[in-house]
Amino acid sequence: MTDSFGETLLEVREVSERLGNNQILEKLSFEVRDRIRPGKVTGQLVGLLGPSGVGKTRLLRLIAGLDKPDTGVILGQKSQPMAAGTVGLIFQNYVLLRHRTVMGNLVTAGVANGMGRGESKDKASHLLERFGLADRGSFYPAQLSGGQRQRVAIAQQLVHNKSLLLMDEPFSGLDPIALEEVIKLVTEVAHMQELNTIIIVTHDIRAAMLVSDTLLMLGRDRTPEGKVIPGARIQHSYDMVERGMAWRDNLELDPKFPAMEREIVERFRQL
Amino acid sequence: MAVPQQLKNAFLPNRAVDRAMVLGLVAFWVALAFLAWLAVPFETLPRPGEVWHALGSLWWEHGMGPELFTTIRLILHALLLTVLISLALSYATVIPFFRPVVEAVSKLRFLGLTGLVVPFTLFTGGGYDLKVAMLTFGMTSFFVTSMAQAVIEIPREQFDHMRVLGASEGRILWEVVIRGTLDKALEVMRQNLAIGWALITMVEGISRAEGGLGAMILNQNKHFKLAEVYAILLVILVVGLILDYAVGVITRVLCPYVAMERVRR
Repeated sequence: MTDSFGETLLEVREVSERLGNNQILEKLSFEVRDRIRPGKVTGQLVGLLGPSGVGKTRLLRLIAGLDKPDTGVILGQKSQPMAAGTVGLIFQNYVLLRHRTVMGNLVTAGVANGMGRGESKDKASHLLERFGLADRGSFYPAQLSGGQRQRVAIAQQLVHNKSLLLMDEPFSGLDPIALEEVIKLVTEVAHMQELNTIIIVTHDIRAAMLVSDTLLMLGRDRTPEGKVIPGARIQHSYDMVERGMAWRDNLELDPKFPAMEREIVERFRQL
Repeated sequence: MAVPQQLKNAFLPNRAVDRAMVLGLVAFWVALAFLAWLAVPFETLPRPGEVWHALGSLWWEHGMGPELFTTIRLILHALLLTVLISLALSYATVIPFFRPVVEAVSKLRFLGLTGLVVPFTLFTGGGYDLKVAMLTFGMTSFFVTSMAQAVIEIPREQFDHMRVLGASEGRILWEVVIRGTLDKALEVMRQNLAIGWALITMVEGISRAEGGLGAMILNQNKHFKLAEVYAILLVILVVGLILDYAVGVITRVLCPYVAMERVRR
């Protein structure tokens, strides 16, 4: 049996968004479908690449249900509209409640989402164990390192079994070792459940290639004279699985990797 | 002779010094201030010994203890009302309907208390209630200004973060606005306690019959008993510092994360 696609998990259809006189997104469409690998639980990892200021974070806010698009629709599993609270979003600076301990942050996430305190605590303990933070439960965010803070922010979003997780620039400012650890963690979270989907917004092409099974490139059209036309949309997409560039260790050692990286960098310049 | 590094640091910009050095520096400046007091040539300025003697006399012979109690009760009563009114108004800034009211209350800080004695007397009937009302008014306008600003400055991400977690707007108000700014509320309370303490002489002077340190100091001043005046000022300063320290302790207990976030210079 070969890999195949299952149901649609996220559909962004003809979404446009304007801020004042500035057209940010223009008829943007893409969809994420369940990737099925026989005998393996396989989540989805989508890398959303684009230059600074193109509207990546704006798109995340729309998918998270924090803002409503001017036109177009965003639908989740079973074509359900996305509402705030149903999608996890990890902000670039790993926002946590500064006045709560790590455990308190996780329990608050569960309670806020309608879970009981006891159930939230059990789930929180399990997640802290899984993320190597069992001994940090009583710590305040101010006592955590950047990496620990990121793990807590991810764990907080997982207390209430959210299958769609959005991450805003999770690779920025990381050294190579920390980057490797984050990629490992994100991959692990994605593959916890079949329908789990993580969309990672980044402008780090290499990291996006290492972690994603699908790469989307967000950018603006240009006139034949090279002038930028306002309103970003998906300009290119790469199926990394089809190219044999996903679900593998040491991907960067593959001779095809640098060639593909150059290709993507070249496209990125045009965005 | 080698100069200890901590001592060097005390004279260099942007350096940290240890606790022992901090205490040493405080002791040095206190001693210097005391010597300066002794060296002041003005005959009208009472000497430390005279002030100390006056303090004993006021405490043991003129009932300074009960007067101090009266003042502390007044300021704590006014502070409680100030905190309740100001926090309610400050938290209300999240609702656009109330923002003009909060803005207006904040602007009242430019009004002097003196001209408001008549309307406040009409409203309260005078006496203790008048003093509480005046002090509350004086502190509230400053408290609301600082606290409303703290609420306005909460980053939008904090609200969005809670929305992403699925929290209701009521829960967001509790977690982000009320709990999230508790440390700032305590700090503002600390500053306002000092403002209230500075206003006490004026407010207690409005109705001297009920006593209090403010009335006491005005009575002593009238008879030009400067040693007594300074003795009372000294008590006001010490009690103010004790109250200030107490609020600091409460902040450390309720908001231990604040000390962790503070970057030590």
